[in-house]
Amino acid sequence: MNPVAVIGTGQTRHTRARDDASQADLVREAASAALTDAGLRPDDLDAVIISNMELFEGRLHPELWVGEAAYATGRPCLKVATGGTSGTSACIAGFHQAGSGAFDLVLVVGFEKHSEGHTQTGMALTDPFWDRAVASGAVGNFALSISQYMAARGVTERQAAQVAVKARHNAARNPHAHLQMPDLTVEQVLESRMLAHPLRMLDMCPQSDGAAAIVVASAGATRDMATPAAWVHAASTRHDQPYLGDLDRRMATMEALRSAAAEAYSKAAIGDPLSDIDVAEIYEPVTYAELAWYEALGFCPEGEAGRLIDEGITSMEGTLPVNPSGGVLSTNPVGASGVIRVAEAAAQLMGRAGEHQVPGAATALATGYGVYAWSDVIVMRSEEP
Amino acid sequence: MTGSVSAEMDLTWRYAASAPMRRFLEGVAEGRLEAGRCTGCGRRYLPPRPFCGRCRLAITEWVPVTDRGVLEAWTLVHLPIRDGRSGEMRPSPYGMGLIRLDGADTTLNHYLQLPDGVEPRIGDRVQAVWRPERRGAMDDILHFEVIR
Repeated sequence: MNPVAVIGTGQTRHTRARDDASQADLVREAASAALTDAGLRPDDLDAVIISNMELFEGRLHPELWVGEAAYATGRPCLKVATGGTSGTSACIAGFHQAGSGAFDLVLVVGFEKHSEGHTQTGMALTDPFWDRAVASGAVGNFALSISQYMAARGVTERQAAQVAVKARHNAARNPHAHLQMPDLTVEQVLESRMLAHPLRMLDMCPQSDGAAAIVVASAGATRDMATPAAWVHAASTRHDQPYLGDLDRRMATMEALRSAAAEAYSKAAIGDPLSDIDVAEIYEPVTYAELAWYEALGFCPEGEAGRLIDEGITSMEGTLPVNPSGGVLSTNPVGASGVIRVAEAAAQLMGRAGEHQVPGAATALATGYGVYAWSDVIVMRSEEP
Repeated sequence: MTGSVSAEMDLTWRYAASAPMRRFLEGVAEGRLEAGRCTGCGRRYLPPRPFCGRCRLAITEWVPVTDRGVLEAWTLVHLPIRDGRSGEMRPSPYGMGLIRLDGADTTLNHYLQLPDGVEPRIGDRVQAVWRPERRGAMDDILHFEVIR
């Protein structure tokens, strides 16, 4: 793949219910912001990619219905849907399109409007023969995995609560974030409503309405532009077996994420992730997942994730700030969430992250996660490869 | 609410079983459990899978599995959820477990009946409780009980 860069990002305001906007309005809001950020006009685009989990809104072919809002009329447009990784997978598809020489400027837009959907549609994510009779939803599934992860690694409910506090405090400095809780305490997390032992309400991500977009440019296209760029140094994606029972101790092992990270680090010449990466935007739908991903992403040896959060190593002031935006724990419009990770990582490298900027960030990590079976790992730098 | 519209869709689906799943469910109807065994790596899949993702092979061998096993993970779910089969709200709280049946290498996601006042432990032995009138479906096993 030839070198490609992210040269513009845009996001809507994310919240529980954007009753002021249709799905198309959200898409246009993010797409327009990304074009403005890149200093481009709609006619400059060569191709468009849409990311969305259409079943969540009960509206087939979102790329058909919101394509014109994403400036897709008269040009190539396709949709990517791979669960929680939809957004990162769509970005990687955009990297491949611009890196193949087929297109110079590709717009990637992810959106979800959970408030317009029905949670029962989540049941269609499960196998009709063995899962639906016993499905307990995302929360129940996470709780099962977490019981294994806690037993294997000895992390505590208090350490998970610290992840919740870090995320919501960071989000308070991000005007796009859904849950902004600058005064949240560990005690409040530990006292929040029990959803599925040991998972509490404030351990979980919200369901959000929102959209996010990036503009991907070929190296040739960036030559004519004065805008800063976040260069893609590695983008790896992995698929695993779909039935959760096939993935042994899935949160503790997380083989898909480990494998994708190993490949991406090798391509981007990252030897020690904790010191070589300046900022990370990782896909953590639940507090315990962030701790598990620290280990799978090589930020620490197995069993030391709790220490990382205890010592503030992943806080805004730490060695490796993780999710300055507030992460998925603060904002989760599923089809957009992966795009948000890439957009936030790119904005950090371009020095455009505002109040949650990590000073001087030169190497950034963005990841996607979907039902343990999909993982995406992206490394970007301010320097061209 | 002005400015929005509501719509209801009554969606009904019908799914065909793969040959391994058909054989497995025919066994369940007789109170018998079998795992599919990969001829490449030897991994015993329960529920059976049509293919071994690791070896990229179709699974053609069968091995018997008992209705007892080991609890590998557990939770007590408080969040009410609509049952995937009946569409009715499921009474909560209810226990869930990942169970590795004796003779299988993968784990089965199923309900866990918790003894009063007893917190389950990973590693507990569990036993399937069967529906008196079986119909060849995964919920012919009503739940698993901890044996202490």
